[in-house]
Amino acid sequence: MQCSAHLSLTPVVMLRRHRVLAAVTLTAAIFLFDAIWIPVKAELAQHLLERSWLRTLAGEPDAKPWPWADTRAVAILEIPRLGRRIIVLEGSSGRNLAFGPTLVNSTSLEESKDRILSGHRDTHFSFLKDLHKGDLLRLHTSRAIRDYRVGWMEAVDSRQQQLVIDDSIDRLTLLTCYPFDATTTGGPMRWVVTALPET
Amino acid sequence: MPTNRNTNYDCNQYQKPSIRDELEQRAWIQNPGLARRMARYRVNLKGNPTLGGGAHRHMRWQNRSLLTLGAVLMVLLVIRTETAIAAVQDWGLQLNSESGGHTELAIDTNIQLDITGLVSRVQITQRFTNHSSQWAEGLYRFPLPPGVAVDRLLIKVGDRLLEGEIQEKETARRIYQKARDSGQTATIVEQQRHHQFETRLANIGPGESIDITISYLQNVSYSNFSYHLRLPMTFTPSWEPPLATNPGLNKPHLIPADSTTGHTLKLHANLISTMEFAAIESHYHDVDIRQVEDGYQIKLLNPHEVTDRDFELSWTPMLKSHPSASLTTFNDGDFVYAQLMLAPPLADSIQPQAREVVLIIDTSGSMAGASLVQAKAALIHALSSLGEDDFFNLLQFNSVTGQLFEKSVPVTRTSLYMAKNFITGLDANGGTDMAPALTAALDMPEMPQLMRQVVFITDGAVGNETELLQMVAEDLGNSRMFTVAIGHAPNSWFMRKTAEIGRGSYIHIGKPDEVEEQMSRLWGRIQLPALTDICVEWGDSAEYYPEIIPDLYSGEPLWLLARLPSEPTIIGLCGKLNGMDWNLNINGWDAASGGTGGDNLAKLWARKKIESLEDALMFGADPELTQLEITETALDYGLLTRHTSLVAVDITPRRDGAELLTQSNIPSLLPAGSSSHIAGFPSTATGWISQLFLSLFVLLLATSMLLFSGSHLPMTKPSTSPGSDSNVTDTGQIPCNIKSQGSDSNAATCGQTPCNVQRI
Repeated sequence: MQCSAHLSLTPVVMLRRHRVLAAVTLTAAIFLFDAIWIPVKAELAQHLLERSWLRTLAGEPDAKPWPWADTRAVAILEIPRLGRRIIVLEGSSGRNLAFGPTLVNSTSLEESKDRILSGHRDTHFSFLKDLHKGDLLRLHTSRAIRDYRVGWMEAVDSRQQQLVIDDSIDRLTLLTCYPFDATTTGGPMRWVVTALPET
Repeated sequence: MPTNRNTNYDCNQYQKPSIRDELEQRAWIQNPGLARRMARYRVNLKGNPTLGGGAHRHMRWQNRSLLTLGAVLMVLLVIRTETAIAAVQDWGLQLNSESGGHTELAIDTNIQLDITGLVSRVQITQRFTNHSSQWAEGLYRFPLPPGVAVDRLLIKVGDRLLEGEIQEKETARRIYQKARDSGQTATIVEQQRHHQFETRLANIGPGESIDITISYLQNVSYSNFSYHLRLPMTFTPSWEPPLATNPGLNKPHLIPADSTTGHTLKLHANLISTMEFAAIESHYHDVDIRQVEDGYQIKLLNPHEVTDRDFELSWTPMLKSHPSASLTTFNDGDFVYAQLMLAPPLADSIQPQAREVVLIIDTSGSMAGASLVQAKAALIHALSSLGEDDFFNLLQFNSVTGQLFEKSVPVTRTSLYMAKNFITGLDANGGTDMAPALTAALDMPEMPQLMRQVVFITDGAVGNETELLQMVAEDLGNSRMFTVAIGHAPNSWFMRKTAEIGRGSYIHIGKPDEVEEQMSRLWGRIQLPALTDICVEWGDSAEYYPEIIPDLYSGEPLWLLARLPSEPTIIGLCGKLNGMDWNLNINGWDAASGGTGGDNLAKLWARKKIESLEDALMFGADPELTQLEITETALDYGLLTRHTSLVAVDITPRRDGAELLTQSNIPSLLPAGSSSHIAGFPSTATGWISQLFLSLFVLLLATSMLLFSGSHLPMTKPSTSPGSDSNVTDTGQIPCNIKSQGSDSNAATCGQTPCNVQRI
């Protein structure tokens, strides 16, 4: 019988001896949790938002999805072909983007005609890569339901181009980061889907 | 050498360790860190690779290779996979015929700049020839600087002439649709997102020449006490004369006769002003500058200019020891348009005034993340720029308003320290209740001899803008309001208006790396107020902009525009200079006539008028009436707005013959008028997937290394020092004996604690 010294080590002793490795393991575990939390939060928030949206439809002004929220649900974006329904939020801040796609326009959704929605390419707006030209996008606002057809899809460079919101044009624009499978964030490219109202 | 033979091991295959090893092991357990260092030290020192040391090094080699592998993988993961960047387009005229397509180089490019004050009319004429022997369809593309739109268009194809006209939007669309429906080549251009002008031309005959003239208004930028105008030249062919690169030959450039004849760039600029300039400079081209009656004329010196670089012109006004004014007028027959420039005195002749700076920061939930970081950086920057005699205070608001000091305090080390602590502790949460913060800032008791400057840092995400603006207007008193918009899509209209009503100025920080530059700009602007409480007597029934005149700050001239019923005789100015009353009268006949660029003044004035009409809309003006008024003004002055578009109509009669059917309309809808809002692109990736994989990978790597190394290290560490007899014996410190466990437990403990060490 081989009597080897290593078998004498308890996990605690082992951890003590390899503090660096243990720290790396722990950090990696935290990051792992952090990464998983993002899609979980994105999904969870949508459920809370769905409830606040129902309250909005029921006539409650300024229905907040959670008491401390600085945003509210303003519309539902539906893509019948893909069977997706996503709640759209007001205010395009980084925090709101974690909960759902947001309205970029600084005016309210009802007042704006040139509507621009942005969402994370790897959570709510990941379906943008599956869109085709001619796909139907249905936007439910608290007052009306509007149908749009996807007209153009293109990649643009945000360093060279700006978004112009021109309310004399009736259209819906979906924005997300590009390429969809980039491993890093903060790249300059954006995927722009332009949809025109169905007549 | 003391030994202890009492040690007894029952594990029959277990090699009996020497006392040295036992001691080593004991030391290892008592102080692993020290032992590890000792072991490494000894191995390094002796360079004696024994079995144990070898195993240890083997392990380290494994570690190292694993770590290297990990690092390489991480780098690979991080490398961007952005491959599909939009293809680079050729600017110019692309001709498509049945035999294929090619891009024609412009034979001649003519650029005319008419600079009046803060705006320049840029007119570019390019001439092309259809060198192929076939009928072709053309696509003309031209890059535009950000924020401009072509408002004049003239196309000559052979003897056909197409001229662009500003039309009411619906009319323009009808013309466009009619053209398209009748089978003519027609394009609707989503121009405003592409920063390019694009138009299609049908039926270009073989050998026919094409002249395209486009024209737009470009704003002049101001920085470092100078005006700048930059013209990108990417649209011109970057063709170089073949011999131009041979400077040794003292003879004129030889230009081959065929395709390269011409290809010249001519540039002619008129700088219209009665101002005196300290310098006029062209940064990348040799120019000839000549002073004329109404200003300066600037021409390119080299007739065969190579157009591989941008053209940049800058001019610096001459500042005097007192504020000076210059007037430019343009009479279009119905009205007189006047532009008044007020130049501040030299910085040395302004007495710095002590100020009370009130900083307000928005900490509502919408500011969370990058916005708050930028806002904090801006605040820190502001604090560091305060002068010794200044007073300051700090306010933050979300659902509630917080105030650092009850009233403004002098700039001391203690107060700055407190402010920095206050800023560090800020966190974005809650709603945006702006009104109480503004009231708190503006209603603080005024301090005698101090000028109050309120610096307001927010993304402006509010719903009650007009209410807030009215509040600022009412409560402003002698304060000045400066707004710092944060984030990629701030409510810039509201922020700009707040600054306008607050008689201050507005900056936008879109990215973290802009904080320094923009804040320095703002600070440079507001540190030295040169002339305050300015008033201008334009005379009766004048319509002038801005209606609320901001202060004049060191290094930055002020521009005022007015439409007058007739030529002005005397324009009276007043204000406060270094705390004293200041007056100046300008004679109307001293004015420079706008000349060729005079039309700019009318357009500029009309733009301001439309802007103010749109503001009125926000304050509850009748929408239909306002739209009518805006459309009328836009059509009168040929401006692109929300309600008007540019359409090119063929004004020559159609030719006969089926082959020569011409396209009659080349419409081009260019809605990027002054009324559109510009927003940045939000960041829309969380990167959770790569983070997931990366952390999973690191986790697995670390865990496996932990387990893997766990099976070797205890074995190797104690035995890494077999050559250390002398160390132990020399010191002779063996404080205790080593005793094994009883044999009864050995069978079981062989796998656990075969070498248990006990202090006797």
